[in-house]
Amino acid sequence: MSRGLGWNVVLAACLLFFAALIGLPFWWVLTGSIKIPQEIIARMPTMIPHSFTLQHYQKLFSASDYPVYLINSLIVATASTVLTLLLALPAAYAFFRLRFPGRAIAYRTILLAYAFPSIVVLIPLFGLFAKVGLVDRLPALILVNTAFALPFAIWMLRSFLAGIPKEIEEAAVMDGAPTLTLLRHIMIPLIAPGIASVGIYAFITAWTEYVFASVLILSDAKRTLPVGFSGIIGQYQIDWGLLLAGASVAIIPVVTLFAFVGRGFVSGLTEGAVK
Amino acid sequence: MQSWLRDSDPGIRISDNVIGVPTGKREPTMRTLLKAALAGATLMTPASAALAQDKVELTLWHMEQPPHRVQRVQEVIDAFNAANPDIVVKQEPQNWGEVYAKAPAAIAAGQGPDLLFAIPDFTPILKDIGALNSVEDFVKELDAKHDFVDSAVEAYSYDGGVWAVPLYNMAMNLWYRKSVFQEAGIEVPETWEEWKAAAEALSKDGVYGIGLPANKQLYTDQTVYSFMVNGGATEIYNEDGSLRFDNPETVASYRFYADMHKMSPADSTSWTWGEAEACFSSRSCAMVLQFTVIATYDTQAEGDAADLGVAAIPHAEGQEGHNTISYANAVMILAKDEAKREAAEKFISFLLEPENYGRFLNMEPGLFMPVTADGAKAESFWSDPMVQKYKSQIETVIQNAANGRLFGFTSGRTFPSIAAISAQNIIAETLQNMVVNGQSAEEAVAAGQARMEEVSKQ
Repeated sequence: MSRGLGWNVVLAACLLFFAALIGLPFWWVLTGSIKIPQEIIARMPTMIPHSFTLQHYQKLFSASDYPVYLINSLIVATASTVLTLLLALPAAYAFFRLRFPGRAIAYRTILLAYAFPSIVVLIPLFGLFAKVGLVDRLPALILVNTAFALPFAIWMLRSFLAGIPKEIEEAAVMDGAPTLTLLRHIMIPLIAPGIASVGIYAFITAWTEYVFASVLILSDAKRTLPVGFSGIIGQYQIDWGLLLAGASVAIIPVVTLFAFVGRGFVSGLTEGAVK
Repeated sequence: MQSWLRDSDPGIRISDNVIGVPTGKREPTMRTLLKAALAGATLMTPASAALAQDKVELTLWHMEQPPHRVQRVQEVIDAFNAANPDIVVKQEPQNWGEVYAKAPAAIAAGQGPDLLFAIPDFTPILKDIGALNSVEDFVKELDAKHDFVDSAVEAYSYDGGVWAVPLYNMAMNLWYRKSVFQEAGIEVPETWEEWKAAAEALSKDGVYGIGLPANKQLYTDQTVYSFMVNGGATEIYNEDGSLRFDNPETVASYRFYADMHKMSPADSTSWTWGEAEACFSSRSCAMVLQFTVIATYDTQAEGDAADLGVAAIPHAEGQEGHNTISYANAVMILAKDEAKREAAEKFISFLLEPENYGRFLNMEPGLFMPVTADGAKAESFWSDPMVQKYKSQIETVIQNAANGRLFGFTSGRTFPSIAAISAQNIIAETLQNMVVNGQSAEEAVAAGQARMEEVSKQ
């Protein structure tokens, strides 16, 4: 059934509106980061830059610890994502397939972790980590991020596992595949989109985490991007160019993850499905 | 004169100096490197530990995080470390947003710093958990030598002790452009009536007569209190510790603030310091209340020093003299160990020496003002190029700061509940009840007092 011209125009207008709503702030940040300071705070804002400078990026990378924060964030977010996936996959499969006492209750109560705001556990956690020597160390953040991402990751992956036809699993079992082989060679490739979603979720959660990173890390050299960057910007006086340049660079890893990693996982799935 | 080490490494530790890492050699393989590291660690650890024990290590937490400030503090630290080979000071910059929770937690866990920068309402929190010893004698000694601004010491003097050593002052001022006033035929306002007339005259052609915040945030606390101290509402406590926030002078101050706020941009209900500065620098706001606009005006606006005007905040009719809010920033000594306390005092004395002090203050030229008489005359302060360029403005700021007050820290009476009142921004919340929720000044101030009493009981 073909749509009328009027309907197409309305659809296009809606699309354009929402694209602008999402895209304009990004445009504003990216173009602002290459304007001279006077143009950034000009009384009449300019949508198209009238000036061009890389001075804010130069200052960001040469006169601040931004590169250190960036690397720390990459380490923490990547390690948190990998650890979350490594733990969530077998846990989700166990909740999905294995029979053990208290399974249903454990599965339902796992999300209770989200009932407590992170600020509530912050101080006790600080004391605990201080006792085991984890304060001011990046592994502390990796552990915390993983602990907070894990419940949701298990829930999501279990839902993806539940969507796989039982016959596929039965066929593998009949061929004599042990549980680990079944999980590794059959189930994981089939839930690749789910793994991608959980991976992106875990990465972004760790990438943007602020509260724990601000308290558990004491030294400047170990700060992650959100905490370190907030300090660079300043309190009483804001360097707007530096702020916009830092924000522009901060979104690159996340955009890269969405653009390449997510796409790779999805293409892997479709290749398997064609067979 | 100190020799300042410019290319400093903020992350330097004593172990870096003692063990050392050979450079400029052939690249070793990973295996060789690991073996060497293991052997080196085995052989050198006892020696380095022994050497480390000879030195007193001090950890300094401060909240001056922007890179240029961290670099300047490091330069001062490097000079001190070089002049005092038996002491090693290292800095760990923190954020004002987190330090209120982080410092008590770190102290409880034995991970706290030896020295910690403070503003007056932060000190009672650490004093109440027993982290502080009075530094009254030390402050007296420094006062005799450098002559502190009285209000700076007062803010830390209560309960029979002095709990921190004042380091620098920040005071709120009225900023404007002289050319804009001249074009409009306006004199610098002295009273509230003149101030309102000036703002009304300047509100034209898309320009806002004045940029005042109405956010539930510290900046609004500061600007509102700047009105209160010029409207006869300086004291928010009675002598017995009961609250006297709800009084006719406070109501009048809020009413006048709300009137003036009508000439501010609509988004000022979410402003912090940076937005007000940007509004002034872009010429969208004809006047603003700020600690300073110098750095932004110089680097992000036209930077014409001759045109930048600064004045004391106008007062209500019937009031005399101009007052302002001032924050005397200070440093607390948290170290309990006697050797560390002695080293900490040595470091603070070093900072306040006129030949070092100006360089320390000028980590942010035009923002941090001296709290000592000899510091205000120090060559190290006035020789900074930015300070020289804006000398007349900075002289006015220093003059205004002499009449500085801070809510909850006036008249030598300080009550612990001020920490909660300040942390929850109740002064700003009261204003929001007027400009956002439409309450009258009387209703809002009464509600504000009730909120203050409520948080004081917690």
